[in-house]
Amino acid sequence: MRFLLNFKSGTPVYLQLVDQVKRAAASGALVAGEALPSIRPLAEELRVNRNTVAKAYAELESQGVIESLAGKGCFVTARETPFKKDVRRKLIAETIDQAVVHAHQLQIEKSEFLRLSEERFVTFEQKRARASHG
Amino acid sequence: MSNQTPVIDVRNLARRYGRTDAVDGLNLRVAAGRCYGLFGRNGAGKTTTIKCLLNLLRPTRGEVRMFGLDPARDEVAVKSRVAYVPDYVAFYPWMTVDDTLAYFASFRPRWNSATEASLVQQFRLDRRQKTSHLSKGQRTQLALITAICAEPELLVLDEPTAGLDPIVRREFIQTVIGAYQDGEPGRRTVLISTHLISEFEGLIDEFTIVDGGRDVLTMESDAARQKYQKIHARFAIDPADADLSGMRVLRRQGRDVEVLVNGDVGAVMERLRAAAPEAVVAETLTLEEIFVSTLQHQEMVA
Repeated sequence: MRFLLNFKSGTPVYLQLVDQVKRAAASGALVAGEALPSIRPLAEELRVNRNTVAKAYAELESQGVIESLAGKGCFVTARETPFKKDVRRKLIAETIDQAVVHAHQLQIEKSEFLRLSEERFVTFEQKRARASHG
Repeated sequence: MSNQTPVIDVRNLARRYGRTDAVDGLNLRVAAGRCYGLFGRNGAGKTTTIKCLLNLLRPTRGEVRMFGLDPARDEVAVKSRVAYVPDYVAFYPWMTVDDTLAYFASFRPRWNSATEASLVQQFRLDRRQKTSHLSKGQRTQLALITAICAEPELLVLDEPTAGLDPIVRREFIQTVIGAYQDGEPGRRTVLISTHLISEFEGLIDEFTIVDGGRDVLTMESDAARQKYQKIHARFAIDPADADLSGMRVLRRQGRDVEVLVNGDVGAVMERLRAAAPEAVVAETLTLEEIFVSTLQHQEMVA
């Protein structure tokens, strides 16, 4: 998985890592049983303090998003999603808000925006169906 | 956490050269396991402070404790637990890389040969090369190897990346994170003195800004990034009557106003919103921007 850190976001770095793993697990980008990178190479790659990565992993473990197996590393736990439904709604609302603002700037009407959303949904479902059959 | 005694405890340190006060009332406290930044401009007193920690200079006044010990009285006990990479590294020019490593290892109670082998290979150093033939980057790499292989409890880096090319800098920082920090947590403390702050942004978890030989600001990095913000507001018309009293205005140009907030971001946002701006955006300052703004503010006050 790929992490993106932003030192200007006002969110502590370890919490950015926590959020990104949770989002990836919620969206299916990370699947149950999948391994997270070990602390040392990830800290080296992101050039952050090793303690920051360790703190993020400890937080993820206490929230039940990942589990650590001694000597083997950290793995995504087999759960539906680490977020409660209202949190998931809030997350998707943020993404939709961005798209709405973008649509406004590009002078795309509400009706057209909704029609496009419908279309994208159909495309997504078709792709998924093809992937699972093929 | 694991060790209550701070690794570094400096109180009211002063050091005078002739009539110049290089350090004048500096306080510094570094807990075990931290990666601590000592930020200051050239001549702020960073190197003098470090030399007092290592007993390379005697303080004119004040108290220095390392691991709870006096570095002048317990010099050997302190030095065996510390490794130091200075800004300018001098080796015996007639020695090869291999001789130099063996020479440094001979003074050390611990020496990790596996780390030595892997770092020499990673930095592509020629073991038979005379140190007088090494480039500045290679000398710094060799100094870092001699420091890390001793597995010190405290690694002191004084302007470590100044004058190095970007690839060597990147490798240097990755080595500090990887090869050094990978040891027993709580027994791996780093003190980095630098004015190239952005390079170490992700590494530093607490810092002290030094100016004029004193500590002017000490904070945890996460807390600092939450406290210091820059707010940019854009108004429909020139906000001539907007109340900006008490705010530190960074930029005011036509319809745009940029202010620096130190603390209550919400309250400042409210006041700016009262002037009905078209848009208001708050952005966290990086450690480097906090450093610059702190020192500019110092100058304004002085």
